[in-house]
Order: sequence, then C-alpha cells, then structure tokens
Amino acid sequence: MTSATTPISATTPILELRRLTRSYGSLTAVDQVDLSVVPGERHALIGPNGAGKSTLFATVAGTLRASAGRVVFSGQDVTDLPESERVRRGMVRTYQHASLFLDCSVLDNVALAVQRAHRVAYRFDRPARRFRATQAAARRHLDTVGLAGRQYDKAVALSHGERRQLEVAMVLAAGPELVMFDEPTAGMSAAETERFVALVQRLPQTLTILIVEHDLDVVFRLADRVTVLHLGRVLASGTPPRIRADEAVRRAYLGSAKTEDLFIDAGEPQ
Amino acid sequence: MTAGQARSGTERHEAPGPASDTAPGGGDGGRRDLADRPVSHAPLLVAAGAAALLVAAPLVLGPYPVTTATRILAFAVLVLSVDLLTGVTGLPTLGQAAYFGVGAYTAALVGIHVTADAAAQVIAACVAGLIAAAVTGWIAVRARGIVFFMLTLAIGESVHQVADTWSALGASNGLSGMPPIRLFGSPPLLAAGFVYWWVLAVAIAVFAAVTLVARSPYGRTLRGIRDNEPRMRALGYRTAAARYGVFCLAGAVAGVGGALWAAQARFVSPGDLGFEVAALALLSVVIGGAGSLWGPCLGAALVLIVRDNLSASLGGHGPLLLGLVFIAVVFLMPRGVAGLVGARRHPRTRTEIPS
Repeated sequence: MTSATTPISATTPILELRRLTRSYGSLTAVDQVDLSVVPGERHALIGPNGAGKSTLFATVAGTLRASAGRVVFSGQDVTDLPESERVRRGMVRTYQHASLFLDCSVLDNVALAVQRAHRVAYRFDRPARRFRATQAAARRHLDTVGLAGRQYDKAVALSHGERRQLEVAMVLAAGPELVMFDEPTAGMSAAETERFVALVQRLPQTLTILIVEHDLDVVFRLADRVTVLHLGRVLASGTPPRIRADEAVRRAYLGSAKTEDLFIDAGEPQ
Repeated sequence: MTAGQARSGTERHEAPGPASDTAPGGGDGGRRDLADRPVSHAPLLVAAGAAALLVAAPLVLGPYPVTTATRILAFAVLVLSVDLLTGVTGLPTLGQAAYFGVGAYTAALVGIHVTADAAAQVIAACVAGLIAAAVTGWIAVRARGIVFFMLTLAIGESVHQVADTWSALGASNGLSGMPPIRLFGSPPLLAAGFVYWWVLAVAIAVFAAVTLVARSPYGRTLRGIRDNEPRMRALGYRTAAARYGVFCLAGAVAGVGGALWAAQARFVSPGDLGFEVAALALLSVVIGGAGSLWGPCLGAALVLIVRDNLSASLGGHGPLLLGLVFIAVVFLMPRGVAGLVGARRHPRTRTEIPS
C-alpha cells in the first residue's frame, strides 16, 4: 500500500512537533507543544474542552498555519507546506464531520483517493472504469470498511455511521503513512463506535495513527500512548495506565465541565 | 426512498465484489455522474440514432434550415466547453465566448491569408483557443465562485473590446472575405449541406472527446472539485492545477466551435464573441441540464432557434421568450432537460428490482 521506501528505524519518530505554537490574536491556543510519534504507534490526543486539541490537529494537518515552531514528518520539515503537499508525503486526515463528495458514487469517493495515489488523476485517454487497478484498489478499500455492497449508491444516501466508514476507506486509499483521526466516533451509536474500534484495530501495524478523541473508553482501547493537552500545553504524555494514574490529569478534567465525569469512570482501575 | 436505497437492499447480500469491472445487477437507474457504474447500451443506441438523424437532415431539409442547423452545431460546441467548466467542474463562466471568438477570428484569418483547408482552420483555432485560455486562465483559476465568474466576464469583455477596435481584425466592421472552405484538396464547398456535414463531423468528434474527458479519471477529479474542493486538497490534489487544466481544455473546445462558426458564416464580427453570446451559452447549459453534456446541446438548439428564427415572428421579443423559458426552467426543472430524463428513469428502476 505504502511505497517501499527505506525502512525508518523504530526509534526515529515519524512525526515530531517542536515547540509548535498557534495563536489567534492574543489567545495562544497551542503553546509550545513538543510531541513525537514513532512509526506504528497509536497515539491519542486528549484534553478537556478548549484544551487546543482541534487547533493542534489542524496545525499538524496543515489546515492551519503554525505561528511558531516546526512540524517534522519523516525527517522532513513540512511546517510551511500546504495541506495537499503533506498528504502527498503520507500525512492523511479524516474530518470530524464526514467530508465527502455527496453527489458522486461511494466507489467514486474512494477512487478519487486511489487515483491520486496511483498518479492517474489527470489521465483522460480512457474511461475511468478501464483503469482496472485503480477500480480494484478502490473496491478493496470499500471491502475493508464493509461498504462493498454500496459502491454504486451515491454518498448522500449513506447513514452517518456509513459515512464515517467511507471516510476511513478514503484515508486508507490515499496511501498514508500517518493517519490522523479527528474525533472519529463523535455522534456514532454504540454499535457504530464498536465497529470503528474493531476497524482501527485491524489496520496494518505499519500504519501510524494519531487520534483526537473525546470518548476515553475508545482512547484507552486503541492507544499505546496518550498525550493530554490542557490550556494549549502538554500536561502529560505516556502509556494509558500512567495517564490514568496521573494526578495532574485528573485535576485538569475535574476542574473543567461536568460532562467530563466520564473520565473518572474510565480512570478507575478494573 | 430513492431507487438507490431500494437497490442497496438487494446488493448488500452480494459477495463483496472481486475486482471484476462488470459488476452484477446492471441497471443504471438514472443516477448521474457514476463514471464507474456498469454500462447500459441504451444511451449508446440513442446517440447512434440521433447521429443518424443529424447526418440525414440535409437530405430532407432546405438550404436555410440546414444553415441554421450548422450554426446550432457550432454554437453547441461552444456550449459543450461551458458545460465542461460549469456543469462538470462547477465553475460558472461568461468567458468562453472570448475563446470562441479567438477561434473564429483565427479560422477566418487562416482562411483569408493561408489556406481554405477546413481541417487546418479547425486545428489552428483549437490551438489559438488553447493558448488564449492558457494565458488568461492563469489569472482566472486563482479565484473561485463569484470572483472567478466576474474575472471570466472581464476576460470576455476585454477580448470583445480588442476585436471591436483592432483594425487588422476589421474592428467593428468585422472580418469578411473568407473563402469557402475546402476539405482535403476538394473543390470549395459551396453547398450548405457539405459545410453542414463537415461541421457535424467535427462537432460529433468534439462531443465524443468531451464525453471521454468527463468519464475519465480526470473527469472524476473535476467532479470532486465541483462537489468538495477542500476535501480534494485533503486527498493530496493540487486543485488549482486541475482547474487550470480544464480551463485550457475548455478554451481549445470553444476555439474549435469558433472555427466551425466561421466556416459556415465566412464572416466574423465582434458580435460573435460578445456578452450576449456568453450569456446565451450559459443559458443553454442551465436549460439543458448542467453536467450532462447532451442536455446543453439541446439547450443550444433551443436558444439559437429562438434568437435567430423565432425572434422575428415574435416582433423582436425573442430575448423576452428566452427569459421566460429561463425562469420556468429554474423553477420547474432545476436539473434542466437532462434532469427530466433522470427523473423518468427512477421509477422504472425501482420496479425492475423486486424487494
């Protein structure tokens, strides 16, 4: 799926944030964040509302420009690259609200991702369906997320959960090395969340995953490492058990809105 | 509710498809834009039938209707270029008449000074339209939405102004004295029917080419831009380059249309590339159904017949009639003529699949 470049040793981070800062006027939403993610890692980014998760996510993805600091991906400084160039290097994101091509077929949605990765997106010498390798790869990705039966339906006909599945298929089809999920289970039913978690667990171990997520149950099931943001800064970073036990993290969540009581349940030792 | 949902119920039970591109359950229930769905042969038969009728037309029609039909075909090629931008890529434009005009003037100049060979004129006009679009489009595609629309209007008006004042092009008098076209060393084609057949052949070739583009991976890229350009960037697309590409392509197509227009009229004037032409081309796309390619061709026929043939009998109120048609289309059939066909096919598909 990904191109067979020279393998990066497990100790070299695939993604590195160096004192990454993003301010809106006088408000500093992300404040000198240092973070490194090694290849194959499942890294979760959590924090109470207003902690700067979404801003950090958008700055890493390239939707927002950094005010200061660097984003380094696979040893390359990508801080000044637009989103599309980051994607071409293997940093692919999903959207919190599924962002699809609603008037196109489900298969076309995925094929758009595949044909760019296959470098045939500008060919017009043959009908699209004659590009068999592209079509087959698109169908394979739909099969992976369980949407094979709906390939000829328009994306607009899909349910909320199915749209999220399609998002995942599109991300996988774009040839990623790092997949960034932006609150993937927001608004999903319990069953849909369950299916999503199983899907992510089945993804190849070579894939690095960065996930911003509210549902801490999902976070602790998926992540090998968790970074907690609070007021734009890194409050703690470590393995799930260490984060659960961290006093500062508990205080940060308790100090914020009551809806975060959830965290206490998740944090209790079983 | 839709046929799509009705179908999905049956499809879900199929084995998740192997890579076969001829997927089972072939009906293509009127859904637009599915570049990859199983092909039905009905549209091909309809197209062949329409082409046969068009080829036979000069055998039964008098010279005047044949001339009208020739003009419609040339105009339809311009409309195809507008549909490629507006319907397929989602970029409404008022600038295509400029490239149409560049093509027409180029063909006329080639005809007067170089050769009467029609194929050479078409090729020259195609290249000229491509170059003109490549130069001006570099600015235009940087904008989107209403700004892009206004830039295309500015391009159209500028080119019109140049044609209207440049003495080498005859300024406001236009360029006359173009000799009748010849084909591959034939004697000059004086009969309206022969010119018609040439124009028809080129128009069909352009239609086939544009259809191929729309169904190709590049066409899919363009529809992706139309539907959700930010998402395309998030898939790694350089969307400005893709929009620039289609802008150049549409310029080349409009240029060919201009050459066909000149081949029939043997006279080109600034009026052939004015705002009115640009607006009527866009109107044809709306009436016919943006993005369907064949619908806008029907729209082109309707618009040109009303303007050139019915307007006189309406006491010069052709534009008023077009305005009323436009309003009626927007309210009654927002997807144009092509949308009507799609709507008609939906119920049929539903009954084809027993649930």
